Amino acid sequence: MAIAEPVARRALRTTSRRKTRNLERKASVAAASLFGVVTLAALLAPVLSPDNPLMPAGAPLLGPGKGGFLLGSDSIGRDVLSRVLYGMRTSWFAALGVIALGLLIGGVIGLVAGATGGWVDNVLMRITDAFLALPAPVLAIAVVAALGPSLLHTLVAVSIVWWPFYARIVRGEIRNLAARPHVEAAKLAGAGRLRIAVRHLLPGAVPAALVTASLDIGNLVLTLAGLSFLGLGQSAPAAELGADTARNLSFLLQDWWVPVMPGIGVLVLAFIGNIAGDGVRNLIEPD
Amino acid sequence: MHLAFGPAAEKTVTDPGASTSEAQAIEVASIEDLHVTFRRSGKDIAALRGVSLDIRRGEILGLVGESGSGKSVLGLALLGLLDARADVRGAVRVAGRDMAHCDQSARREVRRVHLGAVFQDPMTSLNPTMRVGRQVAEVAGSKDEAERLLGAVGIPDPASRMDAFPHELSGGLRQRVMIAMAVAGNPDLIVADEPTTALDVTVQAQVLTLLRSLRDEIGCSVLLITHDLGCAAQVADRVAVMYAGRLAELGSSAEVLARASHPYTLALLRSRLSLASDRTTSLLALPGEVPNPAAPEPGCAFAPRCDLAGPACLDAPPPPLEVRPGHLSACVVPAVEVTSRLAEVVRAAVVPHPEREPHNDDVVTLYRVQKSFRVGAGRTTRRLQALRGVNLTVGRGESVALVGESGSGKSTLLRIVAGLESFDGGKLEVAGPDCPQMVFQDAGASLTPWLTVGEIIGERLRGISRAERAAKVAQALAHVGLPAEVAKAKSAQLSGGQRQRVSLARATVVAPSILLCDEPTSALDVSLAASVINLIGGLRRELGMSVLFVTHDLSVARVVADRIAVMYLGRIVEVGDADQITSQPVHPYTQALMSAVPDMGREPVALRGEPASPLAPPAGCAFHSRCPKAIDDCGDALLDVRLTAVDRSAHHLAACIRATA
Ligand SMILES: Nc1ncnc2c1ncn2[C@@H]1O[C@H](COP(=O)(O)OP(=O)(O)OP(=O)(O)O)[C@@H](O)[C@H]1O
Ligand code: SF4
Ligand code: SF4
Ligand SMILES: [Mg+2]
Repeated sequence: MAIAEPVARRALRTTSRRKTRNLERKASVAAASLFGVVTLAALLAPVLSPDNPLMPAGAPLLGPGKGGFLLGSDSIGRDVLSRVLYGMRTSWFAALGVIALGLLIGGVIGLVAGATGGWVDNVLMRITDAFLALPAPVLAIAVVAALGPSLLHTLVAVSIVWWPFYARIVRGEIRNLAARPHVEAAKLAGAGRLRIAVRHLLPGAVPAALVTASLDIGNLVLTLAGLSFLGLGQSAPAAELGADTARNLSFLLQDWWVPVMPGIGVLVLAFIGNIAGDGVRNLIEPD
Repeated sequence: MHLAFGPAAEKTVTDPGASTSEAQAIEVASIEDLHVTFRRSGKDIAALRGVSLDIRRGEILGLVGESGSGKSVLGLALLGLLDARADVRGAVRVAGRDMAHCDQSARREVRRVHLGAVFQDPMTSLNPTMRVGRQVAEVAGSKDEAERLLGAVGIPDPASRMDAFPHELSGGLRQRVMIAMAVAGNPDLIVADEPTTALDVTVQAQVLTLLRSLRDEIGCSVLLITHDLGCAAQVADRVAVMYAGRLAELGSSAEVLARASHPYTLALLRSRLSLASDRTTSLLALPGEVPNPAAPEPGCAFAPRCDLAGPACLDAPPPPLEVRPGHLSACVVPAVEVTSRLAEVVRAAVVPHPEREPHNDDVVTLYRVQKSFRVGAGRTTRRLQALRGVNLTVGRGESVALVGESGSGKSTLLRIVAGLESFDGGKLEVAGPDCPQMVFQDAGASLTPWLTVGEIIGERLRGISRAERAAKVAQALAHVGLPAEVAKAKSAQLSGGQRQRVSLARATVVAPSILLCDEPTSALDVSLAASVINLIGGLRRELGMSVLFVTHDLSVARVVADRIAVMYLGRIVEVGDADQITSQPVHPYTQALMSAVPDMGREPVALRGEPASPLAPPAGCAFHSRCPKAIDDCGDALLDVRLTAVDRSAHHLAACIRATA
């Protein structure tokens, strides 16, 4: 008896959890919609920014709230708030870009490997593992050294190490789905390989890939900021959070807001990314 | 505790007839007007809607009902395991306690001392990481007691099995371990929820016999929950039939079988397949589906499916009333009228099968087909011989059933014919033009979850306009008895029966030359199974398809097939006309399968042991380790038993050296 008990409970547990679920769901929707809010803010950065981020707009090194600068001004009198907003815009779209590219490349490779199986699967997964083993910063430094410093080159380098995650996840999902009878039924119904892959397998891997991707954004924002802190991002005078922090570190003791505000910008973005990612996960995979 | 099968046996009542009359006064459990309601996504699910029932000392009470009728909830209520948030009204008295309302520790105490439980899937109830000996010892008190119990439930060589992990045991042995744990401590009542549903027919019979003999020995009562009225009537002293959370009928097994008084019980009895079912007409399937527990009928819940329903049925749920002493039925129509009025309706509903014109060409021919799988990895790789040389033909328009225990290779054979699996040796010919279609056991899993039914069925219709396709899909759905709107639904929105119909519609939207069916009814309720079988039979006759139908149930095989092939360990051991095989089986294995079929009013004869391992098929006749007729020659490694004709027609073949001699 002692052992049978939890099993019998499990059978009925689902019925009673529902009430709290409704509340949880609403919270998750709110969290997930933060993605939209941030993207909108990033799109509207030119409208939201009080000043041009590249041009001096007043006296240099004014503290937050002084001289009409909400977050202060930097060493040549540019508005820190505007620079932070533009920097967040750059980081956000860069992160989205890497993820989109990762989903695309990883998705295709994972789908081909999972749907084909056999040696194709083996070869593709070996290659994927090799890429997975590359260290992002070292690769980024190498790419930038070869092609010259630019945000685009850094993004290329990060994308090269980022897609293998998605390839692994998509391939795993596809392999599980491929073992289900509905795939055999589709085969018998006369569907070809491509059709089975695209219609009977791929849609089933989308939720897991989306969840991973949305949990990844915060992570990626931090990684990209770290690289640009190391000087592997946009070149001056463009506004970028990591680079702005690094360049202005010498002001930390007297005029702390100049390096700290962009750093806070990074944290806020990563934090929102994680909360929203959790929301998406709760919506797609309740429990 | 050590008394279990010793002196305790003195207080038992071995004769079921006597137990019902003598022990009437003492109940081990009594349920009074029990209502259980769950709340799910804002809706009230009325699982039980006023059930009163006594379980007498020493009796086996069979609780029968289709899925969703509330029988498992009743079992959980008895065990005091209902979810704390369920709304429970009424009383469930066990050993002087109300299991529905007393506190957790009291319930645990009652469970420990007075109750035992066996569930459908022992794998989920046993701890996979603990040796079974320790698990049983935990409830039995000591290792010696555990070993004695394992022996008592018929586990061969219990001393060595004590050290086994659950996954190392077969399903039947695992269920015996569960039973050993349930009887440890001499409970007053064992609640057995579908204890045999996951098992093979032969093993099922062994487990039912075991439950019965345990009752006889230790005198405990058993609540046997099952969806199969035949199975219940066979082992139980009394039977309670439930429908939509209420009692429909209650009486002694013999009474309910011989004089069923509720239209639902009668419908169940009619749609139930047995070896005596009429093969020449369609089955009497119960129309419609189990009612939705979120929207209970105000009146008799059975009214939408009842042939006798009238205005009087729609006001309030009829209470169970005594129709004869000890026999209750909840129907407004007097019991005497029910049977006579239903007989008329039934006579009108029977459709005789048309004569089949014999065709001479074969659609499928298998010649010495072999298949082995590599199992294990690295050095431990072994060859599992799933098919060891199979010869079989299926004629045009003919229906052939493949019967055999789990692991005999039925599904493998079917998948090879479908082209889903390769084979290692022999020849396979499948007549065109298009490839065979298949209906799977788990219809839900065979439908792509994110596509609509219309898209899934339409997949087979390429190269025609969208409007034409929609029309054909609607037509195919109509053929299987589904409304055209179903085309817009996804599989998750359909019931089990509807899913199986959809997969039939997909298979037949363009008629294939052969339809392959892998246990399409074994996951369905009795009443639904009958209608799916009717449907397959109807479609086959109408479209002129051949059918290859895999089942482990001979009574199903008998009605769906013209010919039956019996498989054992990767070989066909007997094949012949369905009537011949079921009336005069000559192979000892077929004979054993026949006697294991649960049938009302007959003791099941259990075949001993379980199928030998296909990793190392026994030498000689592979069945000799279990064969009751085996002689020394049967185990001879040089013996090669081939299918040979048992009569002059050369139509009925068997692979047994003693069958043809
Ligand atoms: N892909 C596979 N890999 C390894 N072994 C397999 C595979 N498919 C089937 N088998 C084994 O082949 C044997 C025959 O299996 P099959 O599924 O044909 O049996 P069955 O008669 O359909 O049984 P059931 O009634 O349980 O469906 C079994 O021992 C099974 O474990
Ligand atoms: S009460 Fe009416 S609907 Fe219900 S079973 Fe009897 S006749 Fe049928
Ligand atoms: S050949 Fe021997 S062992 Fe095999 S079925 Fe016949 S009698 Fe039994
Ligand atoms: Mg099978």
